[in-house]
Amino acid sequence: MRRYESVWVIHGDLPDEEVKSAIDKFSRIISTHGGMLVGMEEWGRRKLGYKIQGTLRGYYVLADFAGLPATVKELERNYRIDDRIIRYQTVVKSKKVNLEALQAEMAAKAQAAAPAPEPEAAPLKEAAALTPEAAGAEAAPSAEATSPAKED
Amino acid sequence: MPVMPRRKRKQFYVRRKVCRFCVDSGLAIDYKDVNTLRQFVTERGKIIPRRISGNCARHQRRVTRAIKQARLLALISYTPTPPPS
Repeated sequence: MRRYESVWVIHGDLPDEEVKSAIDKFSRIISTHGGMLVGMEEWGRRKLGYKIQGTLRGYYVLADFAGLPATVKELERNYRIDDRIIRYQTVVKSKKVNLEALQAEMAAKAQAAAPAPEPEAAPLKEAAALTPEAAGAEAAPSAEATSPAKED
Repeated sequence: MPVMPRRKRKQFYVRRKVCRFCVDSGLAIDYKDVNTLRQFVTERGKIIPRRISGNCARHQRRVTRAIKQARLLALISYTPTPPPS
C-alpha cells in the first residue's frame, strides 16, 4: 500500500448539494477500491489562479488516504468522467505504509473527530518516522510534510 | 618599477546566499503552501532561478516541482492575471 494525497477541484458555481454529492462519491470510490481514507480536508471555495472552463472559482477538496495503484487508477478514471471535476491531482506521499501505524492514526483521527466535528489536520507524526527514505520518492516533494492546515 | 594596478571598478559585496531550507529543517516544501511558493516566483509567475533565490540544488528541484504542482491545481497562476475587461 502507498500513501496518497489527492486534491480535486469541483466547479465553483455548482450548488452546495452538488458539491456535497461529488465529495461523497469520490470518498466512497476510495474506500470501495481497496483504499483507506485517513482524512479529508475541505478548503472550500477559492479563487482559481486562472480560468478553468470559464470559471474563476473552485471548491477544493483534499483526501489523505492509503491505497493501491489500482485505487488511484479507478479514482482518476472517475475524475475524468465526472463533469463537475475541473482539476485533480494525486500525489504519492510515501511508498510504504505501516498498517498498524495507519490504523492507530485513523483511530486517533476518529477520536479527535468525536468531540469536535471538524478536526483540523491532526499532526501526522507517523509519516516522518515511517519512511525517511521516501523523501526522495518521485512524486512526493517531501514525504515528511506534515500537512499544515490550510486556512486561506 | 611596479606595474600600475588596474583601476578598480565598483566593489561588490557578494554575500553568500544560503539555502533557507537547509538552514531551517523545519521548513517544508509543499505544493499546498501557496504563501511560501509565492516567494519563489516573480510577479510574472516565473520561477526564480537558483542564482537568485539561493536555494541548493536539491531544494530548488523540490520548489520547482511544488510550484508546478500548485500551478496545475490553479493555486497559483502561470501568468499574471489580465485586468478585468
